[in-house]
Amino acid sequence: MAKAQQRLSQVQSHLASSEADILRGRENILQKSPDDVVVTCALRTPLTRGGKGGFKDTAAADLLAHTFRSLISRSRIDPNLVEDISVGNVLAPGAGATEYRAAALVAGFPETTAVKTLNRQCSSGLQACVDIANAIRCGMIDIGVGAGVESMSSQYGPGAVSEFSELLDNHPEAKNCKVPMGALSEQMASDRKITRGVQDAFAARSFQKAEAAQKAGKFRDEISPMKVKWLDPKTEEEKEIVVEQDDGIRAGMTVESLGKIKPAFQKDGSIHAGNASQVSDGAAAVLLMKRSTAERLGQTILGKFVCSSVVGVKPLLMGIGPWKAIPVALEKAGIGKEEVDVWEINEAFASQCVWCVQELGLDEAKVNPNGGAIAFGHPLGCTGARQVSTLFNELRLTGKRVGVTSMCVGTGMGMAAVWVKE
Amino acid sequence: MLEFRTQGFNGYAVKYSPFVDSRIAVASGANFGLVGNGRLYILGLTAKGIVAEKWFDTQDSLYDLAWAESHENQCVVATGDGSIKLFDITLDQFPVQSWQEHKREVYAVHWNLVAKDTFCSSSWDGTIKIWSPHRADSLVTLPTHSCTYSASFSPHSPSVLSSVSSDSHLRLFDLRAPASAANHLTASIPLHTAANNNNHNNNGQHHHHHHHHGAMPPSEALTHDWNKYRPQLIAAAGVDRLVRVFDIRNPSQGPVAVLPGHGYAVRKVAWSPHLGDVLLSASYDMTCRVWTDGSALGVDGEQQQQQQGLPEVPNGRAGADSLAVGGGRELGRMDRHTEFVMGVDWCLFGAEGWCASVGWDERLLVWDVRQVMDR
Repeated sequence: MAKAQQRLSQVQSHLASSEADILRGRENILQKSPDDVVVTCALRTPLTRGGKGGFKDTAAADLLAHTFRSLISRSRIDPNLVEDISVGNVLAPGAGATEYRAAALVAGFPETTAVKTLNRQCSSGLQACVDIANAIRCGMIDIGVGAGVESMSSQYGPGAVSEFSELLDNHPEAKNCKVPMGALSEQMASDRKITRGVQDAFAARSFQKAEAAQKAGKFRDEISPMKVKWLDPKTEEEKEIVVEQDDGIRAGMTVESLGKIKPAFQKDGSIHAGNASQVSDGAAAVLLMKRSTAERLGQTILGKFVCSSVVGVKPLLMGIGPWKAIPVALEKAGIGKEEVDVWEINEAFASQCVWCVQELGLDEAKVNPNGGAIAFGHPLGCTGARQVSTLFNELRLTGKRVGVTSMCVGTGMGMAAVWVKE
Repeated sequence: MLEFRTQGFNGYAVKYSPFVDSRIAVASGANFGLVGNGRLYILGLTAKGIVAEKWFDTQDSLYDLAWAESHENQCVVATGDGSIKLFDITLDQFPVQSWQEHKREVYAVHWNLVAKDTFCSSSWDGTIKIWSPHRADSLVTLPTHSCTYSASFSPHSPSVLSSVSSDSHLRLFDLRAPASAANHLTASIPLHTAANNNNHNNNGQHHHHHHHHGAMPPSEALTHDWNKYRPQLIAAAGVDRLVRVFDIRNPSQGPVAVLPGHGYAVRKVAWSPHLGDVLLSASYDMTCRVWTDGSALGVDGEQQQQQQGLPEVPNGRAGADSLAVGGGRELGRMDRHTEFVMGVDWCLFGAEGWCASVGWDERLLVWDVRQVMDR
């Protein structure tokens, strides 16, 4: 009878005035429209330890080719229908433009499938997905792949940044762009009073969550195992191995065990190998198209891309990027932080990640529920695309709906994106 | 005057078929649409009077209907439970399609008269949705954040639509405009703005009307309609009892015509399909009224008479006309309904002037506007 009462009072208001129920932000983004940009497949390789792990002898392009091949077979998409591929990459010269086009051809994409590579540092993988989503949204293409790849084993090192010119070196803020991550993060941690204890506690939880998730097999559906050649460092013998899972996740990590590790950048510093992201290898890819296209092709819709944001911050404070980018993305989506079910915020350093989480007032139980880059690694260009598969996997397993992926970006930026599980 | 009793069901909307001149559909609800079933009547005008050719019962009350412009046997209905249903009148009982997206009562459905392949709906949930009869989900959702009683495609453009809401605003959407940020919204016109036109004052005579055109308090808008001949004109009305006509090329000037007269809220306005200056209204005051907006040549002459101090309206409704703007006036009224009149529609065929009205008195009345104009 409540409804009848409401209708009656509405008629009464016509004979005298009334207010309407407003569709709240979350309900609004949960709606389905044929123009939605949807994800029909998202997967990744395992992430392995740089220089030591399963992919230490595998080229980035090979990781990418394998990921593409898995994406085609798992989604059953006709590769001829894919019009463009965007690949995020940081360390390869020219962001790997030549070898990743070649990787697409190897994987079975025809020559009609265009490929570009891009480098927005640690957010490259997300930027690649966003570029494809936007190209679909504006009608430039119908179907595309956003991807990310990094072989830090083979391409990480001092050669990644070229010399600064005199012009740049003489500009104080510009010069800050080349301050190493470790140094500026130490400074930020001490300036913002993020103690080693807080960092180690956050890092220990990341390891513990990842260990539990791996043991429970939660990553199995998002990972595509890969057979590679691997040089055994002890016997110097080349073996063929199948890499099936992330090999950076160390079991039994605690605040106490992390507390014993020596600081990496400063003698009295708080940041060390155990509370910063690992150097890793890996690749990830996301298949995107319009909902109407997915329906026409009979693709399984995992969820949709809602919106994304990119912001700039001071180069020396690059770690605060998510803190600034996330509210912008939420505002674009028209939702509040309490309406988000799962946060995937990259753990470049425990210090910056925990600061962002606390400063934004996020429920830590919803942040990186399966651990993050501290536990299983941060292959720079791959991470943004990797987060999409991890997020949708978690949303699917828990029956939740709204997720956000975000990361800080070297030289002082932040990105975030809002996603909705179908 | 012809009559049909919608026994046990109180009428909310009536629409002539755009394909068959003798066919009328009525959307209705039991218990005044407050609680209980809805019913869609398909009625035939025959030599023996009005007969029910078919009816379809629904779980919840029906508040509006629209005939498909692309299919002579189909019409959509707006339902109290938030659903929209498409019925094929050659079939029995069940809708051929049902869409459940609106979170609250749906108050309006309107077919795209130009493209003919889409229709829109509006709801208490504060949204307008655009639909294709061939798709399971809505094509577009346009938020108004206000209970939206009426939404309508322009009869002149396939991509322009409009709405009025309980927040006292007329909104215009253009689907060609970028979707971002404004959600295709191209104008939001406060209906209660003061009139700011001097059209009727051009002869230099100062008369008292001008002092009374001030802004009114906001009030719920319940209905609106696009003029069929002049693509820039929209009539809107609602709780404040006034029928207003806006020129959407210059909304900031306020209404170009204000037509006072109804004693209670106006539930429906409909421009004539035959005459560019004539419109019909239906009201909670149990009357339907015929109006000219004052733009026709003959009416201008009469307006000048008024300004020269001659009696303005024969029926002595002098109290209302201090609100009047634009020289329009009531041409006649039909007062045979005995309860709130909720819907009225013009017949598109034959002699100009035939129309149909429905109300809470469980009656459909079919009548000729010309017969009530000389009173």
